[in-house]
Order: sequence, then C-alpha cells, then structure tokens
Amino acid sequence: MSSRKLLTGNEALALGALHAGARVITGYPGTPSTGAIESLLAMEPPSVYVEWSTNEKVALEIAAGAAWAGQRALCTMKMSGLNVASDSLYSVAYSGVVGGLVIYVADDPGVSAGMCEQDSRGFALLADLPLLDPSSVAEAYQLTRLAFDLSEAVGTPVLVRLVTAIAHTSAPVEVGEPLPLPEREPQLLRDIARFTKAGAAICMQQHRDLIVRLEEAGRWLRQAGLNSLQIAEKNSHPRLGIIAGGVVNAYLEEGLEIATRWGLDPRSVSTLRVRAPHPFPSDEVRALLQQVDMVVVLEELEPHLERGVYVEAHRRGFPGRIVGKLDGTLERVGEYDVRHVVRGIAAALGFSIPPDLFAAETEAEQLAAPRPITVCPGCPHRGTFLAINRAIRRAGYRRDQVMVTGDIGCTILGMNPPFDTVWNEVAMGASIGLAQGYVHAGVKTPVIATIGDSTFFHAGIPALINAIQHAVPLTVIIMDNGWTAMTGMQVNPSTDEEFQPPGGRRVDIAQLVPALGVEHFFVVDPFDLDGTTAVIQQALALPGVKVILSRQECAIQAQRRGHRAGTVRVVPENCNLCKLCIMLTGCPAIDLGTEAVMIDSALCYGCGLCAQVCNRDALVRISE
Amino acid sequence: MKTEKSLDIFLIGVGGQGLLTIGEVIAEAALALDLPACFYPYKGMAQRGGLVKAQLRLGRSAVGPNIPPQGADLVIAMEVSEALRAVRVLRPGGEFLLFGERWLPTAVMLGKAAYPALEVVLEQVRAAEGRDIYLPPDTLPSGLPANLFVLGAAVGRTRLGDILPAIAVEEAIQRRWPRDPERNLAAFRAGCRNQE
Ligand code: SF4
Ligand code: SF4
Repeated sequence: MSSRKLLTGNEALALGALHAGARVITGYPGTPSTGAIESLLAMEPPSVYVEWSTNEKVALEIAAGAAWAGQRALCTMKMSGLNVASDSLYSVAYSGVVGGLVIYVADDPGVSAGMCEQDSRGFALLADLPLLDPSSVAEAYQLTRLAFDLSEAVGTPVLVRLVTAIAHTSAPVEVGEPLPLPEREPQLLRDIARFTKAGAAICMQQHRDLIVRLEEAGRWLRQAGLNSLQIAEKNSHPRLGIIAGGVVNAYLEEGLEIATRWGLDPRSVSTLRVRAPHPFPSDEVRALLQQVDMVVVLEELEPHLERGVYVEAHRRGFPGRIVGKLDGTLERVGEYDVRHVVRGIAAALGFSIPPDLFAAETEAEQLAAPRPITVCPGCPHRGTFLAINRAIRRAGYRRDQVMVTGDIGCTILGMNPPFDTVWNEVAMGASIGLAQGYVHAGVKTPVIATIGDSTFFHAGIPALINAIQHAVPLTVIIMDNGWTAMTGMQVNPSTDEEFQPPGGRRVDIAQLVPALGVEHFFVVDPFDLDGTTAVIQQALALPGVKVILSRQECAIQAQRRGHRAGTVRVVPENCNLCKLCIMLTGCPAIDLGTEAVMIDSALCYGCGLCAQVCNRDALVRISE
Repeated sequence: MKTEKSLDIFLIGVGGQGLLTIGEVIAEAALALDLPACFYPYKGMAQRGGLVKAQLRLGRSAVGPNIPPQGADLVIAMEVSEALRAVRVLRPGGEFLLFGERWLPTAVMLGKAAYPALEVVLEQVRAAEGRDIYLPPDTLPSGLPANLFVLGAAVGRTRLGDILPAIAVEEAIQRRWPRDPERNLAAFRAGCRNQE
C-alpha cells in the first residue's frame, strides 16, 4: 500500500532511507541538507540511531563503520561538508562497504545559503563512486531507496545529490511500505587487504576493485533504467535530441510547450533524462546519438554530462552539433529554469527568442529599500560585535587597522551594518588559521579571530592548537550561544546538557581551552557591554594566544522556551530621538515613534544593549 | 501541461509575517483536491525581518520549482517595499495582491535610505501590465493573523479562488491547526469577505 504525502525533498530522502532499512544515520547541519536529519529526529524512529555529529568527516566515519559492520547507514551534509569528509570518503570508496552506505550531499546552485556553487558530481568522478541525481521530490524518495540496494548489490558507497530546488521544495510523494528488512546482527570482519591501506600492493588492488565496482554499478543502473531514453515518435528534420540532468528534467515539458510556438512538435524530440550521471551513461547516450542530428545538453553548474557527451560523440564519430555550456550557449552559474531549456532548443534549431519573452525588468526592484540581514533582536552576537568595535577604538586603533577574521554561521552577520566588524569568510573553523596567516605576514596591529561554538568544535580546535603550539600572538573570540543556530537550531557539543540526547554530555569550552594551555583565557557576558569591551581591550595588549569566551544562549532558542533576559522600557521624556540606539545596535525590535523610540515588546528579548548605548537614560532595563 | 487549473504563484514578504505558511496551506489544500502542487520556499537565513519569498506552482504534474520572469499568474506580496522585487516575475495581465504592511529597514529609520511610497509600487505593477489588488493593513481585524487574512483575500479576490474553493482551504486550516483552528479560520474568512 502506498500513500500520497506532501513532503520536502529532504523529508522524502530521509523517509526513503528509513524505508530502505537504514539503522545508523549521521550528519552535520548545512543548508540546504539540514531538513533530512531534522525530520528523522522529529519522527524518533524506533531502533534507528540518528545523530548530529561534530563535523561531516566524523559523521561519515561513523556511518562507514556501521556499514562495515553490515548495517545500512545514511550520512547527510551540504556540499561544503563533503569537502571536509572527502579524505575519509576516498579511503572508504577504496575499501567498499558491507551494508549499504548512502551519502546525501546537497548542492546549492543559485546560492540560497551564501557559499560556493560547488557541483558535487565532481566528487563522484574523483572518488569513482556512483551518484544519483533525482529530478523531483518524488524521485528523492524512490532513488534513495534504490541507492541502498545499489550500494549492497555492488558493495560501494553511493552518493545521492539533491539541489536546493529539490531539497527545500514540497511536492506530493508516493510513499511506499518500509522494506521488511530483518534485524541484522553486527559483524566484525577482519580483512586487512580490504579495510587497511597497508602497502602499495593492497592499495592498488583496492583501486582495481573500485574501478570494477563502478563498472558493475553502471550495469546495475542501466538495468534499473534510471536514465530514461525516449526516442521521438515523429520524424523531423533536423532531428533534435535533449539530454537533461537532475532537476533540469522537471523543466523539459514546460520548455517544449513554449517551443511549440515556433512550430516544434514535442513528439519529434528525443530525450535522455539522466538521474544517474556517474558512472557516465555511455550506452544510453550512444543510443540517443544514433537517432538525432544535434543534441542539447541541459544541466546546472559544471558541464559534467556535456563533457561525457563530447567523448561519446568523438568515439562514435557523431557529426552533429552539441549545444550546451562548452559552446557558450548556457552558463555555469545559478539555478536553471525553463528559460535555459528554451534557449538551448532555440540555439540548436536556430529560432530567435523574442526579446520580450522572459524579459526580466529590474527597474522596480531598484526602487526597493535595501534590507541587509542582521542578527535577531536580543542576539548575543550583537553585544560581542559592539564590544569588539569599541575595544579596538579604546585600544587606540582605527577600525580599518585591525583585522577581524570571520567564520561560518550567525557570527558572520558581523560583516553587515551596523557592525561592519568582520572582514572575511572562508570555511568552517577557518577564521583562526586565517588570522595566523595575517600575523605571519607581518601585520603589527592586533589580529582578532571570531568563531561560533559549533564551528569551533567542527574545525576550529586544530587551528587553535596550531596557534598555541607556535605561540602566535592572536585574540580568538569564541561566541558561544550553545546552538548551531544559523541552520535552524541544532544541538552541538556546547548545548546545555538538558537538550543533549539521552545520556549525552555537554563539552564545556571553558574547560577545554584552558586545558590546551592557553594562559590568557577570559569568559565574558556579551550582554554586559562595558565588561566585554574592557576584557577585549585588555586582551589586545597581552602577548601570545588569548581566548575570550563570549557566552550567552541564542535569543531565539531561549525565547522559544519563554525565557527573557529582562525587560527594557522607554522613558519618553528622556528620548530626544537621536537614534543612537538604532544606529549602533540595529536591533529590529526598536522602532521610531513620533516623540520617542518605541520597543516592540513581542520582539524584544530584554538584552539591554540598547539601554547601554543610550546616553540619555531614555531606555532602562529591568532584569528578570 | 499548462491547463485551466494551473496557476503559478509568487509570494514575497519579510521574515516573521508567516508568509511561508500561506504557501504551505495552499499546497496542502491542493493535495487534498488531487491538484498537483510544487512549493519552493526561500528562507534566506533564520533571522527575523529579512526577505522571504516562495514559488508555488499549481496544477501541472511535471513542473520545475522555479517560475521564470514574467511567468507568475499571481503575486502575493505582504510588504510594500519588498513587493517591488516581485514585479519582474509577474506575467502581463497577472494579478498582484499587495498587503500594505511596511517593515522599515534600519537604514530607512536612520534616514540613510529611501522607502518607496505605496503609489510608486502600484505604478510599477501597472507598468508591468499587472492587475493590482490592494489590501490596506487597517482592514485586518485586530488580533487576527495577517497571513491567513491575506490568504483569504487571495482566495476571495483572485483566480486562486477559481481553482481552490474556500472550503478546501478551510479544511486544510483545520488539519493544520487541529486543536485551535478558530483564530486562523476567522482571519481567513475575514480576508475572503474583504472587498477593500
Ligand atoms: S533590549 Fe534593546 S537591543 Fe535588546 S532586544 Fe530589546 S530592543 Fe533589542
Ligand atoms: S539565530 Fe540566534 S545566534 Fe543567530 S542571529 Fe538570531 S539570536 Fe543570534
């Protein structure tokens, strides 16, 4: 019995894994992949182990260990996370797996979450692993189930890639019955030739085996018919073929419909819909090339399929045109939609698209008020940014003389006005390494690194240890709000014990950092602007590695439990509408009134920072 | 295939308005009617007060999540300035429902940036050959959620109501808030009745 449900791509993928019998599920939050594990944690499926791991590499190793012990396992991450996990990924690929191992990676063409437009299909190529690329939410469910079967049939990890437009989209999904998979006893397999990298002979044999597995996967996928070839029902001249990858398939019908305006009969077009781009579907592409005179290749980001089509065309002596990115028709940047389908077809058949079709008028947009994102009302980071800015000035520097490196997560919002505190953003944990580079480059003014708690655990600790070992003069400010906030509040090692998984422990940064041998270690409360400023100012003048732990829970999360830091009231007669509070804090809870500022009591968390920057006693905080 | 029952909707507003809930309720109501729905929200980041937008494609069984420029049959905008960002998406002849709430960015409060006048926004909609339907914020009965009110107006006053009867939406609201649907139902009904 199957049923129809409205699911997001993330939920569909998670349910697919669950229904395929996954017993161990790990991951690290990252937009747009986060929803998969979130939905599983909400479901609390019995006898399935689900966790948010410290980082993606750890997550992958846990999942791989479970798969080596014979269980089915899923590991989830965004594309940036795959970079972190890749060291183990290659190695595990060489060894293969016993139980099914599926790695879900979410790519973000169009950059909804402010990171690189990385095309993870390239990782499949590098690691010689099969990759499935669902073209709809419904397929995210089906293909994830299938991925486990493929993984076990061939003994290889399998990558499933979703793009944001599938991961975040809700659409009806035909949900099947869970696979009646009998409980598996874990196995302990001792096989040095398979599970170690002891010597060249072993590694090269593993490499050969890996290539054989990939070929087997190709045969398996061909049989499963994942890449569907549809030869034109009607003849035409010239005969057009379209090869589309992943989500772009969803736009084909709409594109062909539009192309009928130029007299194109959709039934005269042959299509190859690719849902398993790696290993490259050579047979299907060859079969298509035999039937057409020209081919359009439609895929987001890098021309992975297209390059394969060129190779195949060369091998088969295909004389026709190949339209895509490599001939300059389509771009490698951004999400695709029906426009790209139409442009590809038009370029191949020599139609000219009327200029007013899809004309994107941007005049109206330019009249909109700019709305840079800032931190939430009551966000503890607001206090830390304000204190850093003040401390720099009080220590006698101009703001443009002091480098403040940034990291991933809500802490990066310090790059925006009104703070303009943070200068750069690279990757998880990178702020501390980057800062050391500035020091070694000869920067004589203080260098500050900012980082969040989850990011610190993820990849900041090795960089801090490096700074300590090499005695690099540096001020590291860890902004510990107890949650992985930017991705929607996940538990991390710094989260209060009360919210840790049953029996789980909190790892206290205040114990960890001094244990590393940091002599100058301070804990501050970012809601205390003067106190925090004084400590940062003091630290800037001290030698060696200084670490400041700026600690207050994420206001959003605390507010969800009904907590408030205090209450702030306006004393209207003292307010002369100088707007200093708005200018400095940029807090969205403060509004302009006609006589005095107003505070939106539904938004205000009572952090008191506005009261501390007001110099006319027009805002008063009452602690709770 | 594009049919009489297909409708491409673009939603825009700011975080905290409950805009995405509108899209989810429509998608749920459509599912119950066996009307294909594809809802693609853009949340940006978790912060309140930032831009929120979403695309909702109803009635086509095979369709990609993105609506092309000038492709939306209906725009539902909940913030005056942000509405301007949706004009390019509107199909000539399409409907543009604007709820006139204003969320001033900090730079505007400080006098460092301009905020567009309502008239400017409506002119832009008309210049794009859109049919504007303006919903003054003071027509929202006090104490009721604006998002469901706007949804009601969309069902009552635009083509959405032709393919999604109010009763189907009310049922979806009841399923979504099984314990206390009343406030949301009241807001929805007030929106349906609203004629400016
Ligand atoms: S106390 Fe002031 S700065 Fe803090 S949340 Fe309330 S209005 Fe914003
Ligand atoms: S989610 Fe939490 S940490 Fe992030 S900006 Fe908002 S209050 Fe700050």
